[in-house]
Amino acid sequence: MTDDFEKILDDCIDRINQGESLESCLADYPDYAEQLLSSLQAMLTAKEAYSFVPSPSIKRANKERFNAALENIVRKREERKQWFAWLQGWPRVGVSVAVILIIAIVGYFGIKPALTPGESITQPDPGYVTPDLQPSPTLLVVSPQPSPEGNFAFLISDDVNAIDDFESVIVSISKISLLKSGDSDQLVEFTPELSEVDLTQIKGDKTQEIWRGDIPEGEYTNITIEVSDVRGILKETGDEIEIKLPSQKLHISKHFIISADDLTTFTYDLTVVATGSEQSGIKYILKPQIDQSGADHKPIYSKGSGKNQSD
Amino acid sequence: MGDNLDNRKIDEREYKESTLSSLYEEYYDKIARYAYFRVGNKAEAEDIAGEVFLKALKSLKSYKERGIPMQAWLFRIAHNLVVDYFRKMKKHETVPIDNVQIEGGINPAIVAEENAELERVKKAMEQLTQEQKEVLRLRFFSELTSREAGQVLNKSDGAVREMQRAAIEKLRNLLTIEG
Repeated sequence: MTDDFEKILDDCIDRINQGESLESCLADYPDYAEQLLSSLQAMLTAKEAYSFVPSPSIKRANKERFNAALENIVRKREERKQWFAWLQGWPRVGVSVAVILIIAIVGYFGIKPALTPGESITQPDPGYVTPDLQPSPTLLVVSPQPSPEGNFAFLISDDVNAIDDFESVIVSISKISLLKSGDSDQLVEFTPELSEVDLTQIKGDKTQEIWRGDIPEGEYTNITIEVSDVRGILKETGDEIEIKLPSQKLHISKHFIISADDLTTFTYDLTVVATGSEQSGIKYILKPQIDQSGADHKPIYSKGSGKNQSD
Repeated sequence: MGDNLDNRKIDEREYKESTLSSLYEEYYDKIARYAYFRVGNKAEAEDIAGEVFLKALKSLKSYKERGIPMQAWLFRIAHNLVVDYFRKMKKHETVPIDNVQIEGGINPAIVAEENAELERVKKAMEQLTQEQKEVLRLRFFSELTSREAGQVLNKSDGAVREMQRAAIEKLRNLLTIEG
């Protein structure tokens, strides 16, 4: 009996996972309907509470990274195969000579950098960097350099929540990544020129530019900032207090377009919120404020008038 | 002879690569949901899901098909990455985003209600045993079959069904009390 019920319950869970309704399952097992109903309702409550649909653009970007890594492995294997095929065709003496030559070349180039520090044999293209994995032809990781005449400026602002509790809130930002969508996705990554921002100085409509440069034109969908540190000093006590982060990578999904001729400014809005009560203790959390972030927020200063802006 | 052996190895490797690649579309979301349930942070869950496939690709040499199916192996990698994540997080204390994420454009009242419901379910889930929780994660959130869940957990599908029934019964009672 218990075994039967376990199998029926299992079948219903499979069917609901595949998109069938709870009712259709109950109709197929009328003898167990009552018992099934309460169990499946508990399942649906849990599923709904934790419902999460992964972002298609991030899934695609991750797939590109996977494909890039796979292509790299396949390419290396092919190269190795060709090399062995070529080697097998040589007489033994030829192989010995080749080995000696290789050792001599490797020895020379292996020692050379140690003898001349700071000098590299091949200079990397300054426009592109190699990520953790080799970039594929369709997912390039682009590292643009800052330029005062660039077509893109990245700004930080603070949406007023609990910021007035603080004398200062210094946020250290180590990296900014923008995902460019299209036929070939690109990840545009740069290090802010100004890596520390005091949120108490950029409340409400105030903004602070932390990077400006040229980035590829096109449509962008995701923005991530990597926060390496947050330090807050409370007004009331003057004490430094811990401000927690939901994650070191603060990610938001926003669609914006970059053109080569215009200056686009993107304002990433951060906010400090207080949780808990005076009895249980107040905790502060730094999080992105998605609805206040975006490329359509016009900065209220003219280009080149300085980094710290206010209205 | 040696050449044939080498070719066979390459073929096996290519076969494993193409199997792994074909699993991406179907299992990426399942793994991301599994990770989200455990870490409580959508961005980190998506990072973990992407990382699972890269890790699997790097470790394909050690994967033996006769052991467990590849999809079950991916979940074991996901579990290990989640453990690594928590180890890393211990050094830089953070709070799960579930507690704080209020996305723009969403009615705060609805968000508060959803957060309260999530909190209620989370509290109930916390009272289950580790094995019961893992069965429900794999069955409800990753939507694996009992057989697949059994392969991840190294249990028979009968044992999974039994654990599943007990877990749901307990969860149902806890939710009724909490509600």
